[in-house]
Amino acid sequence: MPQLGETVTEGTIAAWHKQVGDRVAADEILLDVETDKVSMEIPAPRAGRLAKILVDTGQTVGVGTVLAVIEVEGEAAAGKREDRGGTPLPQETEDRERSSLLQGTDAPAAAAPQGVQAVASPARTSNPSALERSDIQRLSPAVRRLVAEHQLDVQAIAGTGRNGRVTRRNVVDYLGTRGGEPELAVEPAPTTAAAMPPPRATPAAPVEPQALREGASAAASPRPAAAPSPAPAPGTTVPFNRIRRLTAEHMVKSKATSPHVLQAVEVDFSGVDRVRKAVRESWRAQHGYSLTYLPFIAHAVCAALREFPKLNSTVKDDALLLHAHVNLAIAVDLGGDGLVAPVIKRAESLSVTQVAGAIQDVAGRARAGKLKPDDFAGGTYTLSNSGTFGTLITAPIINQPQVAILSTDGVRKKPVVVEHPDGDSIAIRPVGILAQSFDHRAVDGAYSAAFLDRTRKLLEQTDWFREI
Amino acid sequence: MAQEMRRDRNVVFLGEDVARAGGVFKATVGLLEEFGPQRVRDTPISEQAILGAAMGAAMTGLKPVAEIMFSDFFAVCWDIVANEIAKTRYMTDGQVSLPLVIRSGNGGGSRFGAQHSQSVENWAMAVPGLKVVAPSTPADVKGMLAASIRDPDPVLFFEQKSLYATKGEVPDDEHVVELGKANVLRTGSDVTIVALALMVPRALQAAEELQAQHGISATVVDVRSLVPLDTQTILGEIEKTGRLVTVEENPRLCGWGAEIASIVAEELFWSLDGPIVRVTTPHVPLAAANSLEDAQLPNTEKIVAAVRRLVD
Repeated sequence: MPQLGETVTEGTIAAWHKQVGDRVAADEILLDVETDKVSMEIPAPRAGRLAKILVDTGQTVGVGTVLAVIEVEGEAAAGKREDRGGTPLPQETEDRERSSLLQGTDAPAAAAPQGVQAVASPARTSNPSALERSDIQRLSPAVRRLVAEHQLDVQAIAGTGRNGRVTRRNVVDYLGTRGGEPELAVEPAPTTAAAMPPPRATPAAPVEPQALREGASAAASPRPAAAPSPAPAPGTTVPFNRIRRLTAEHMVKSKATSPHVLQAVEVDFSGVDRVRKAVRESWRAQHGYSLTYLPFIAHAVCAALREFPKLNSTVKDDALLLHAHVNLAIAVDLGGDGLVAPVIKRAESLSVTQVAGAIQDVAGRARAGKLKPDDFAGGTYTLSNSGTFGTLITAPIINQPQVAILSTDGVRKKPVVVEHPDGDSIAIRPVGILAQSFDHRAVDGAYSAAFLDRTRKLLEQTDWFREI
Repeated sequence: MAQEMRRDRNVVFLGEDVARAGGVFKATVGLLEEFGPQRVRDTPISEQAILGAAMGAAMTGLKPVAEIMFSDFFAVCWDIVANEIAKTRYMTDGQVSLPLVIRSGNGGGSRFGAQHSQSVENWAMAVPGLKVVAPSTPADVKGMLAASIRDPDPVLFFEQKSLYATKGEVPDDEHVVELGKANVLRTGSDVTIVALALMVPRALQAAEELQAQHGISATVVDVRSLVPLDTQTILGEIEKTGRLVTVEENPRLCGWGAEIASIVAEELFWSLDGPIVRVTTPHVPLAAANSLEDAQLPNTEKIVAAVRRLVD
């Protein structure tokens, strides 16, 4: 019984394709084996005559169990030794298996020519194709590198290797036929995209600031936006790449899992703006990037989440798991080809300056393709920023298994009624909307509203000069 | 050897039955006649004595070529080879070098049984301080033996016994092939087969069959020199195809192919388009029976099968 998978310990004989006495060719399908995970055809390891079937259809046996004996052509005389002894003794079989590990090739162990070879043994030695059969998506290092370097969607490449595997030549040929087509992305791309865990994602692709228009952006990063992908010709089909596909799956699953409720508050960013203007030049000189609204929002959200821990949680079977720390996921757009949400761990313990640095770090590494699997792990709340294009409000989709996500939209100057005991007046203030989608399984509207109100008050009333 | 003995009076030759009998494989016929008994000496049957004498001669300024009739017998003189000859230059801080060559009949396929058929080039390459050469063609035997004799340090020169009858063009003039240069015998696009000594003609034949019958295009590289190892050529040829099959006569464990595989895994991982495959002799003593020895050694059929499993 071959090893059908890393964790599989036994298999069931589904069917024998040969009868005792039949001739079999090397690699001819000999039997079908089923497990709870896979169903596979097992080829004969050698040509010969099927001398014995030791495990009948329907029986379940452990990996390594001898299933049948094939008598090799021209060695029938030697095989008689086997016949005389009946079923090979377990020890004998074991020895043979062990020797196969030390064999130079898969020829029968010459040290102990038995005239027969057991159809069993670890797949790695006697039947390498069996493992591969179960995983046609396995890519060689050379293919992985080429796909990453050229930003290819491996699904679009026809594989001609064993079991449809994509070979290096397939990729090279594909690149040749693609000719002078423009690269998908102009920006440095995530070279490890193929190996990344499913990206945490949000609905509307948060886009980078085109320009830091005064009071118009709450963007995460000062870097210019990635050039949008060349527009595909109308009437053509654009196949999903891996990130697109995973994002699509995640979005549908999230909507199916969580009953989303959207709530929004309007925030006056005057206080934040004052400090941004005051330190703009010195900040840029010291840190090398611009100070945006996002670090302030992130800081206020973390503080508010300490007071409203049910929004920093995960829904378990019949309970709500409240997380000890705020691991803040930041949605980062990868130049139109995808969206990832790297995580800033324990964001509640960071100052505004530290949060700004952390956002700059993960966003930069995301675009450079330098994020590690750990960077995606453990997020408890997500910020998504669509403000660049001056959107009014965005209804984000929750980044599972979290229970809430906040979208920051455009900040614009607006006439605002300022209430005062001496009489109301109208002032021009930078105003933007914070919109939160929350999972109604976890909390109710009043709780979410109170959280948003607290976040708004923190943003409007904190003395930010003391925090920078 | 005659070329070098004519060129340099310090080159001397000693071993069992090498002078009057012309060598058990008749590889040294005529040397005694041309160079006389002072420079071409028969020795008693004592491998330790042969190599001890060679080491002493080298220390005093001669350039001895010593013959160990069957490389299996390195086992009885391993102390002098591994502990003395290999380390003298280092332990004397370069004051004493040993410009000596140990020629030895190596490998299987000639029906000599378990104690006279081993491929032991991997023993030798495991010892720092020894150069290890194993040519596959008559021209390379001439050129690489000349380079080994001229080399200022000890060289173990393995002559595959089953290749002694090989016919091939040999340059008449002075011919020297630099040590540490692999030879690319044939270039293909699907797989790179790296072989040594007797495995080289078998790899070439396999490459022909793969091309003719299976449409698989193979590069074949003759390693020739294990120490120093021409990693530049070998890695370059593997990078072009993305696939490597090593064909070695060594028993499975720690054969030289494992060292190549290790280097390739480290240096060329991102260029590999499939697992590295080693075709070796199984890890058992070689059998005495003809049919069983044939079944043990890598042959064309096994190479073709291994390549097809990798490439198909």
